[in-house]
Amino acid sequence: MTRGSRMEIKGEMKKRTEKKRGSKGVPLLLPIILVFCILGTVVFSVSHQISREMSLSAIQNLSESLNLIKSTIETILKNEAEFQKLMAHALTREENPEEYIRFYEKNQTMVKISLILSGETQGISSTGETFSEEGLDFSSGRTIEELPVSQSYVNYMGTWAYTMKCPVVKDGRETATLYIEYTYDSLDRSLPDGFYDQKAMLYIMDAQSERFVLKPEGMGKRNAGHLNLEDFYRANNIQNPALHAEISECLKTGENVLFYHDIRSVNALNYMWPVNNGSIFLVGYVPVEAIQQEGRTVNQNIFIVVFVMLAAFFFCCSLYYLNQRQQNKIRREREIHNRQLAEALQAAQIASNSKTTFLSNMSHDIRTPMNAVLGFATLLSMDVENPVKVREYTKKIMASGQHLLSLINDVLDVSKIESGKVVLNLEKFALNDLVSSVDTIIQPMAKAKKQHFHVDVTGLEHENLIGDETRVNQVLINLLSNAVKYTPEDGDIWLRIIGLPQRSSQYERLLIEVEDTGYGMTPEFLTTIFDAFTRAENSTTNKVQGTGLGMAITKSIVELMGGSINVLSEVNKGSLFRVELEFRIPEDQADRHFWEKNGIRRILAVDGKEKTGGSIALLMKDTGVLVETAAGLTEAVQKIESGGEESAYQVVLVDGSLSDASAAEAVQRLREILPPAVPILLLMPYDAEEAQQTLEADNAGTIMKPFFVSAFQAKILEMQAKPEEERPKAETADGLQGMRFLAAEDNEINAEILSEILDMEGAGCEIVENGQLAVERFQNAGDGEFDAILMDVQMPVMNGYDSTRAIRSLKRCDAKTIPIIAMTANAFAEDERAALDAGMNAHVAKPIDVKLLKKVIHQYTKKRDEE
Amino acid sequence: MKSNLKRKGKTLTALCLAGTAALIMASCTGNVNPDKNLLPSQDSGKKTVNLFSPMEKIEPDADSTARNAADTTVAMAEQQLGVTVAYRTYTAENYQDKTYDEVALDRARNNMDDLYLLNPDTILTLGVEGSLMDLSGLSCAENLREVVKVANTVNGKLVAIPQEVVAYGLFINKDMFDRYQLELPETPEDFLECCRVFRENGIETPVGTNRWWLETFVLAQAYADLYNGGNTQAQIDALNSGQAKYSDYMRPGFEFLKKLIDLGYVNAEKALVSEAIEGEGADFLAQKTPIVMAYWGAANTETAYGNPDFNLQVIGFPSSRGQIPVMSMTGYAIGANAEHAEDALRTLDVILSDEALQVYSEINRVISPSKNVEVDCIPALKPLNDKIQEGVFVLGSNAGLKVEQWGNTCLIVRELLSGATVDECMAAFDKLQEESLNK
Repeated sequence: MTRGSRMEIKGEMKKRTEKKRGSKGVPLLLPIILVFCILGTVVFSVSHQISREMSLSAIQNLSESLNLIKSTIETILKNEAEFQKLMAHALTREENPEEYIRFYEKNQTMVKISLILSGETQGISSTGETFSEEGLDFSSGRTIEELPVSQSYVNYMGTWAYTMKCPVVKDGRETATLYIEYTYDSLDRSLPDGFYDQKAMLYIMDAQSERFVLKPEGMGKRNAGHLNLEDFYRANNIQNPALHAEISECLKTGENVLFYHDIRSVNALNYMWPVNNGSIFLVGYVPVEAIQQEGRTVNQNIFIVVFVMLAAFFFCCSLYYLNQRQQNKIRREREIHNRQLAEALQAAQIASNSKTTFLSNMSHDIRTPMNAVLGFATLLSMDVENPVKVREYTKKIMASGQHLLSLINDVLDVSKIESGKVVLNLEKFALNDLVSSVDTIIQPMAKAKKQHFHVDVTGLEHENLIGDETRVNQVLINLLSNAVKYTPEDGDIWLRIIGLPQRSSQYERLLIEVEDTGYGMTPEFLTTIFDAFTRAENSTTNKVQGTGLGMAITKSIVELMGGSINVLSEVNKGSLFRVELEFRIPEDQADRHFWEKNGIRRILAVDGKEKTGGSIALLMKDTGVLVETAAGLTEAVQKIESGGEESAYQVVLVDGSLSDASAAEAVQRLREILPPAVPILLLMPYDAEEAQQTLEADNAGTIMKPFFVSAFQAKILEMQAKPEEERPKAETADGLQGMRFLAAEDNEINAEILSEILDMEGAGCEIVENGQLAVERFQNAGDGEFDAILMDVQMPVMNGYDSTRAIRSLKRCDAKTIPIIAMTANAFAEDERAALDAGMNAHVAKPIDVKLLKKVIHQYTKKRDEE
Repeated sequence: MKSNLKRKGKTLTALCLAGTAALIMASCTGNVNPDKNLLPSQDSGKKTVNLFSPMEKIEPDADSTARNAADTTVAMAEQQLGVTVAYRTYTAENYQDKTYDEVALDRARNNMDDLYLLNPDTILTLGVEGSLMDLSGLSCAENLREVVKVANTVNGKLVAIPQEVVAYGLFINKDMFDRYQLELPETPEDFLECCRVFRENGIETPVGTNRWWLETFVLAQAYADLYNGGNTQAQIDALNSGQAKYSDYMRPGFEFLKKLIDLGYVNAEKALVSEAIEGEGADFLAQKTPIVMAYWGAANTETAYGNPDFNLQVIGFPSSRGQIPVMSMTGYAIGANAEHAEDALRTLDVILSDEALQVYSEINRVISPSKNVEVDCIPALKPLNDKIQEGVFVLGSNAGLKVEQWGNTCLIVRELLSGATVDECMAAFDKLQEESLNK
């Protein structure tokens, strides 16, 4: 199974686990919903049932109340009738019944008693007036206890009344008729003082006239009374004709009527309750809410309980959920923690192992060159008379020393990166310079091993970028020197810089590929290649010396720059390292002015086997110069000849590897057809032999592959300057003859070495042991006594930085100008910056590279002289 | 330490649960306390004042403005005094029924109620009979306008006090008058001319009437000079002593009415059987009738003419002195032998206090009997109000006159409507005057 497919399966499994975790809540949710549905249904049906039962019970209750009122009224009526019968009977014993009547004093029930003797139409009344039956309507035929009862009327007291008549029978003969007038007000005293909490309305209606004869008192403005049934219908908006008809029928038959109807937007139970076989009716309504008060309260309480329970349930659920989440979080954190611990342990073990191995390797690696140094030093002391051998031994001692130095540098670099002290120094740099410096270093190495080193740049849009050039350089050198190391003779090494599609217009995205046809690596080694303290070692490579830190450093730097690095490799076939980096594009990228100034508008790029034309066009995109491409010499010639003045080319670039002609031939041919002022530039790989031949043609030159605008620009400038200036003579005065230096160096050996080196170069040197002495010595020196000060940094009494600052602050006229060069074993970029900040002019790392030292001294002393 | 805390927490939870359970159990058992009367002490000191007042017909879901105002003052009394004012009402179903006044008389004579809302004629009748209590001792009586006191004083006793001074006037559909370019009538002649023009323009019966308020025409014409001629008391004295005859005052008005009837401007038959507003209101609101007569409050009441679709103007009745309002007072009185006389007096003192009258007048936008209460009237009432403010009006009822005017005139007008001649009507007045002189 490949690594890729394994990854896919892993990803799939992860997704499934997440899905599983996500769907965990669904099975839990369903029962909860189900429980709630059941609970809701139960609560609904219970409350519905309660409402129905309470409603039925309320109707029952209302019926009972009305029946009670009905019975009460009927009893009163019966009592009245019976009392009237008794009176009629008593009258038979009276000798003067009329006198009896006249002396009667009205009471609250019987407000008027009248008597009409048989055979007469008029009689007397207790009020003293004559009485006749006129105005009394007994036609309805309704009776109470067989006594005829009149239709209701408003009596002399201005209140509704009715009259019952009772025959006075004496000895089986009707002698008179007794009329007694009763008021409905007397019934009112027996009726409940408002029922259903005074929310119910009760009227008494005379059935025959349908007039309301007793109205509730104290009920306020609106309910003070209705005139009659029609008025009751109208006022309460009871307008359904079918209902009217039904009620009318019930009024006739004397049946109970109960129906729901809204009274002033309040749902109410309306009733018509017959009393005394329907001679009068109880009429009114009760708001349903008054009847169902208890039911409603019960339902409200049920809902409150259910609500509280639900709230409590949700609260518990929330607590449980939060608790679970907390537990899961703790568990996950613990798992992560455990895993991290395990990983840390493993890493510590690996690191420990690696360091053990590394120490063992280092011990071996340091001892090997050290052995060589000491061994050859011994041999040197023995063969001191033989100059040939002395030179050979010295050379080997130096080689071993160099190796030791690189070992130490790498170890220090790793420790620095690991401790996070590396800071990127972002500055503008030209990719051209980077490539050429790499080329300059790698090409000789490759040549020495008879390898072929190819540099290729494609798809690049910007060559001036912002980044830490030194670190990029370090990465490339590491990768390429590895490639050189691990590639056998006659092998090929490629450096490809490929422009990738930009993710942001402000960043150039580069893919740097370093490929070789070397020994390659095993898959096992590939997994640890970027770990520190590892080194590919086998029978084939063990002769290769190295610290095993280069790749770790490389990876760390790449990651520090926000990039990525990976490697593909096969044993005995080669390796391919791919580094992806992004660099910020500086704002002043294209120098259009240069091209306009030099009148260059059109360029012809003649493609060779390698298609360089596209890259050239892309790089020249922002310059405003039109780049046309020809596939070969023939097409180039065609294009030049067919073009008019308008489309003339100002420069022709020719690839060194043309398919249809040699480079020299192509230059010759083009020179013939092009105006002499048009430069022809041959794009050649590093130190190609043909380069020299092109120079034979006029106004022709070479530029190194790969093509860079800045190199192109420099070449054009150079060619323009050529006719006017003589080629500068080589700098001959590169020695330090006659110069005198003040050196601050506390280490005697180093001081001696320095002194000797300078002496050999013909220069004088005065050594002081610390910074303080250096300051004093310089202060006391005569004008121009010293050409420069060489300053160690770490010294007793006063260090190099303080000393420099003190010297620069002296009041001597040359205190500000005397070159001060740091010569220190503090070799990092930060150290260099610190030195410059302190006021030093340059920084040269120990051990002393004589050539470099001379170069630096010359540079600054010359500059001083010019000033 | 941790386990100790946990244990404490568990104990606390258990205790809480146990406590809750105990509480629930206790609540379920109910609160049964044996051998104890479960009913709270019942308040036996309930004070009731029975109020007999007319009843307005109720529309579904609508409140009566007038009743609202009166009820508001009653509620004030109930709240201040802790009494219950129990309404007792009566309304005649038709003209054959006993009238409200008749029933009121019966009830007052039989001490059926404590408080009565009475029409002026009833007030005078009952006042003369001595069935009504003297209210002059009430503190609210001190605030009354003089005209109110005069109109309600019988035999030196202030027997009734109104909540509003009712001004009657002509309710005019000004749009219809404008349509036929008619000026609002000032004199009886003007009025007849307007009716003629309306008739000519197809309006068969220009004047909407009922059996209650036609006497306003008569009273306006009869007493315009008496009340506005500067010699009022002398003329009243002359009438009371028999030196002057009521019939002489009444004749022009009756003749005017007779003319209206004869010319068909008034439908006498319909008027005789029509209740107030019920009979003529619908046609007036439907703009079929341009003129009706009504009381001040009808212009404010939704159930009467409070919200017409036309420009309503309320003016005085035509007379020799121009437009003149007829003032009448429906007053509250207390039965001389009222069962709850003390409470009734106190109640009346509250509902007729300046504070209550202010509320009443603001709700109903009416003229208050209290000299301390003034409210603005609606624009439609402005012409009528202007006259009243000028002091130009006729009293429809005056207890100072021995012959009751409001009720008697109303009844005699009904005679006219029934076909009696003007002379017969005048003879009726002469008879009444004679009876009064014989008392």
